[in-house]
Amino acid sequence: MTSANGNQQDGVDIGGARPADLSLPGALEGLRVLEICDEKGQFCGKLMADNGADLIKIEPPGGEACRSFGPFMDDIPHRERSLSFWHYNTSKRGITLDLETTHGQDILKRLAASADIVLESRKPGYLESLGLGYETLSAENPGLIMCSLTPYGQTGPWRDYVSSDITQMAGGGQMASSGYDDIDVANPPPIAPGGGNSWHIGAHYAYIGIMAALYYRFLCGEGQYIDASIHEACALTTEGAIAIYLSTGEVVQRHTGRHAAPDMSPAIQFPTGDGGWLNTTRSGTNLTPARLKLLADWFDQSGMAEDLTDERYQDPEVIASENDHIVQVMKNFFMNSTLMDSFHGGQERDFPWGAIRSMDELVGDDHLQDREFFKEVEHPELGRSFTYPGPAALFNGSPWRISRRAPLIGEHNAEILQGELGLTNGQMLLLAEGGVI
Amino acid sequence: MPLPTPLKGIRVVDFTWVRAGPWAARWLGTLGAEVVKVEWPLNLDTLRQNRFTVPPGVEPGPNSTGQFADTNANKRGISVNTRTDEGLELVKRLISVSDVVIENFSSRIMQRWGLGYEQLREIRPDIIYVSMAGFGHTGRHHWYGTMGPAAQALSGLTHLSGLPDAPPAGWGWSYLDDTGGMYGAISALTALRHRSATGKGQHVDLSQMITGITLTGPALLDKTVNGRKARREGFPPGNRTVWPGAEVMNNYRGPIAAPHNAYRTSPGGYNDWAVIACLNDGEWQTLVKTMGHPDWADDRFNTIDGRLEHQQEMDERIEAWTKTMGKYELTEKCQAVGIRAMAVQSSQDRVDNDPQLRHRDMYVPMDHPMLGPWKFQNAPFKMSKSPARIANPPPMIGQHNREILEDLLGVSHDDLLNGYENGVFWPTTMDRYPYIEEALR
Repeated sequence: MTSANGNQQDGVDIGGARPADLSLPGALEGLRVLEICDEKGQFCGKLMADNGADLIKIEPPGGEACRSFGPFMDDIPHRERSLSFWHYNTSKRGITLDLETTHGQDILKRLAASADIVLESRKPGYLESLGLGYETLSAENPGLIMCSLTPYGQTGPWRDYVSSDITQMAGGGQMASSGYDDIDVANPPPIAPGGGNSWHIGAHYAYIGIMAALYYRFLCGEGQYIDASIHEACALTTEGAIAIYLSTGEVVQRHTGRHAAPDMSPAIQFPTGDGGWLNTTRSGTNLTPARLKLLADWFDQSGMAEDLTDERYQDPEVIASENDHIVQVMKNFFMNSTLMDSFHGGQERDFPWGAIRSMDELVGDDHLQDREFFKEVEHPELGRSFTYPGPAALFNGSPWRISRRAPLIGEHNAEILQGELGLTNGQMLLLAEGGVI
Repeated sequence: MPLPTPLKGIRVVDFTWVRAGPWAARWLGTLGAEVVKVEWPLNLDTLRQNRFTVPPGVEPGPNSTGQFADTNANKRGISVNTRTDEGLELVKRLISVSDVVIENFSSRIMQRWGLGYEQLREIRPDIIYVSMAGFGHTGRHHWYGTMGPAAQALSGLTHLSGLPDAPPAGWGWSYLDDTGGMYGAISALTALRHRSATGKGQHVDLSQMITGITLTGPALLDKTVNGRKARREGFPPGNRTVWPGAEVMNNYRGPIAAPHNAYRTSPGGYNDWAVIACLNDGEWQTLVKTMGHPDWADDRFNTIDGRLEHQQEMDERIEAWTKTMGKYELTEKCQAVGIRAMAVQSSQDRVDNDPQLRHRDMYVPMDHPMLGPWKFQNAPFKMSKSPARIANPPPMIGQHNREILEDLLGVSHDDLLNGYENGVFWPTTMDRYPYIEEALR
């Protein structure tokens, strides 16, 4: 089968959008970005670089501290082998520069003179104290957009508070909404979901601020300064919790694997026979007679429908009163099925369920392959290539894609400082011996 | 005179509903775009029906939910039946004078309306079309449905959250509605820059589920590069970086560190918790000093190896200390000496007790026609020349039909009235709200 403007791949309909020709320029082609960021801002930089910006990452001599975050390739700790650094710094070029030296400051100013965007995540006031604040950098370049992405922003009583991913998730409200029902874990703590997501949340908002500033510059030619706060970005990212409080004064309670809410709600996660967990959204409690019949007929194929095929279940009142029993039949079915069979079987019957997949189930997924999601990225110095996660969206006119692996420490010093700024061999030598690069 | 907004002159046709899509368009509106939400009362946005967010004393109805209000601030709204020829024609006319079309329906709905990308491009050659289907429009499972929790499960994010040997805790809200919405805005703005540079529009085929996968990068590379087993002992490690007794390895929370946990505070209520993270030995020594050099904090804990080895005891001892004070007192005491600590803040804490959010004007007061004096969430960034702004409450359903259909699209007043009589602008089976009657006079 093929949809009206669908595409075929191995005889399977994979739909109508299709990625752009990957040789086309990305949407941010032609923009020069300087990134002076640790773990807080590097993801925002990656989004710009993967979308085609020419991004120069400016690291202190020896490299950013977050190069020492594990895991490491082959479990051998080394600042060029951090998988975290690899992921967050694709498509960038990199130079080293000690911004606390006069030479380093001069070079940054020269780079900023022709840059479109400066993205930085140093402590509030730090760059300004080095004479590298927005006023200075934009003096000769009024179109410059500079975004500072910091834990609490540039002003206010918490401006100088120190943070880490988990403290941001505490203050931002992620933890107050995530955790367990007592029935699953006794005296459960609030849980901070893993993976560095407070940095992601901050980076997404910084990115939209920068893109909006670019449009404003397109209209009138002026750049500007953006003071972005991770705390505020996180505080915005708990869906209805704030609206519920503002509306009713109620504070949400944490529930296992589902929405925190003012009241108790039915469980939606169920174990499967192969040790997985299926998330049923809330369909289990939202059954019409027609949908119940779909489930019953499906379960019946393996003799697991119990009495659900009975005509009496074609009555919404019976479905409501027998809900506990229906859920029990579902649970029995899942325990006698596998995670992926339960998931696909549900989706084929229009139940928007989700398999709780780990990385083991994600890699090699057919749908993701159809979208050319996984990208083989070459690491020429290692003579190897590795599979990276690709874009969340297919742009059919300007591809979002990884153009190269993360830069090695100071990899582009010569290319940029000599090739672009015209420094001589002698000047490079002095900068190196002086510890500036 | 107020400062200009950055997206001045951009018009967005917003077909989105529920949360992820409306949240995307909400930020375009907050940045100054003119967002026109297209609705039909018989197929009501589920957020207009959110039972948890109708304030006591407010008459329930589609214009009375707090969750819809914040999610759709800064938009205008029209009610048009796109299943009628006349309604569809007007929607096309609206698209012809717009820059962005954004929707989060299942993957073939717009095509069935005759509003797929090819048709949109005929109407407006440089249109930016952002589709936000769960699995995207491309790929063999494009027709699979997702809501936030299922998308989180499928993306791998849920698996990263919780305690070992317990069910996945996941995310206690639709994180991928919030973040999927962010990517809708990101996509539109990125494509807008492409249009500014080249004059060309495009279709951006976003997948809500895949937005989550891109957020699992280090875990995914640990699999593809190192072949790490994702289901392993001690994973996920709760709030810690390494679960006590489990093999020491990085579990994708930044650097391995201890202490790194949530601790109970006084007076022991549901959200009386705070977190402390010491990322190196020096920060640990500062914490020991702040705790008053207790006897138990001996040499065993001087190094990260020792703190991981004795993590359970350490966390219990620390908690005995944290329970002697309130979470904000603890936060201030620790932050005064540079220890990374923060209160676990509930919704109430953020709105009422957080001095930083108050200082930064996070909750902007504005009157809402049904809810009365209300607070709307502000942008988490300050733009020096063209700030984001909260300018208008969300549209009541069909509120702006007259100004948009007559003033923008040139529909005559008689045709507008006829459209109400024959079910194009309002269902003939439904009473019209007083504000609609008022607008037609």
